[in-house]
Amino acid sequence: MSAAATLLAVVRIWLWIGAGVAALFLTVGIGRVDEDARGAWIFRPLLVPGILLIWPLVLWRWFVLETGQDNWMRRHTPPRVAHRAAAGFIATGIGLAIILGVAAKQDWPTDIAPVQLTDGSAS
Amino acid sequence: MSVKYIPVQWNPNKWWYDTIMLAGVGAFLWVFVHIVPEHVDHSRPVDRQIHLMRAFGACAFVMLSVILAIGPLARLDSRFLPLLYNRRHFGVMTLFVALSHASYVLDWYFAFSPTPRLEALLSSNTSFGQVGGFPFEIFGIVALVSLMLLAFTSHDFWMKFLSPPVWKRLHYTVYLAYVAAVAHVALGIFQDQRDHTLTVVILGSAVVVASLHVWAALNDRTSGDPAAPLATAGFVRVCAPGDIEEGRARIALLPNGDRVAVFRHEGKLSAISNACAHQNGPLGEGRIVDCLVTCPWHGFQYNVTDGRSPAPFTEKVPTYNVRIEGSSVLVDPKANPPGTPVDPVPVPKALT
Repeated sequence: MSAAATLLAVVRIWLWIGAGVAALFLTVGIGRVDEDARGAWIFRPLLVPGILLIWPLVLWRWFVLETGQDNWMRRHTPPRVAHRAAAGFIATGIGLAIILGVAAKQDWPTDIAPVQLTDGSAS
Repeated sequence: MSVKYIPVQWNPNKWWYDTIMLAGVGAFLWVFVHIVPEHVDHSRPVDRQIHLMRAFGACAFVMLSVILAIGPLARLDSRFLPLLYNRRHFGVMTLFVALSHASYVLDWYFAFSPTPRLEALLSSNTSFGQVGGFPFEIFGIVALVSLMLLAFTSHDFWMKFLSPPVWKRLHYTVYLAYVAAVAHVALGIFQDQRDHTLTVVILGSAVVVASLHVWAALNDRTSGDPAAPLATAGFVRVCAPGDIEEGRARIALLPNGDRVAVFRHEGKLSAISNACAHQNGPLGEGRIVDCLVTCPWHGFQYNVTDGRSPAPFTEKVPTYNVRIEGSSVLVDPKANPPGTPVDPVPVPKALT
């Protein structure tokens, strides 16, 4: 099995587990941890793609809320300082990507004569 | 604000926002598909499918650039705040445009592949050890998966379920998506372009977005919310009573890193958390409308004396104890649980 096929197989397993978590959470769990979701069914299918992607996080938050461990004060402490790191990351990343792109770019004259690669390597 | 969740909360403002956004997307694609080919280098003509693929790719990139520019612009100038109002619909639309780009790639370059398309995409170029000819598609995949993560967790349920800080941290993935998209362009189409108009526009917009974020971060550091120094008996000093305009607030950074917003309403002072219960928007930068503190980001409202949204809504924010001593407004940095009523403190006429 190639590396690409292995990677895709892992992704499929991840999504199947996510589907199981989605089925359980959207039928049993959501109403237990969020009063605004009780009796509200039409919006629930919209949550399926998200649960497929982040099901470990869903299980963790479900556990935290079920066991009453949610810290109400943490809900009101936005990670604003993190924006400085994000701004640094985006500036550095964009700069690096553009430098690498310019460095790798090859501008050949349009009238260059074609060369047989095997002939070129022999000479 | 909702009592029971519904799939999408529409209102006239959102209809207008989405109509303008869709018109913009349609106009961009139409110009790219019908006008641009007349003005670009025809020495190496491309198939229509490739041209459409590039049109949707360029559109997704420009949309992501606009989305990322809105945040710092709104921080630097409040006139850009209306753009923030329905940004999540912008993000979801960007995902659909990016998916269209990806489907053109798969259905054109890998349509007749003997191996499954995704597997062929991942295994067709594995030159990871070199910059020239690097498999730039991998950056596109990273950007696309990041956009999926953002769009799929954009419903209000996720904010409440994950809590706004966790949700915010998750949505910082947008920066990874953007850097990956820039790398996708720089090591992809940029390597092949001879007419540089498109690449200059795309890479130029990336530089503008990065500059705006750095500018906003520096601005927040130099002229952001002031720290509240310790005064007496554990209370911290926020400002003088006369510094707070009627219907407005002063924000202060507390010793524990939280922010408090002290509002003046009908000549009395009340303090609540500066972080909205919805997306942690800066309540202190909003104003009091119809006796309710109104978040400048999405219009969520709270009673300033108890931090509760008006019935039937259920959102609530922490409150703080306030007192006036001499010419100082003092706040107890220990927050009360969300929704705790606190008697407002009248401002003596001599101090107004």
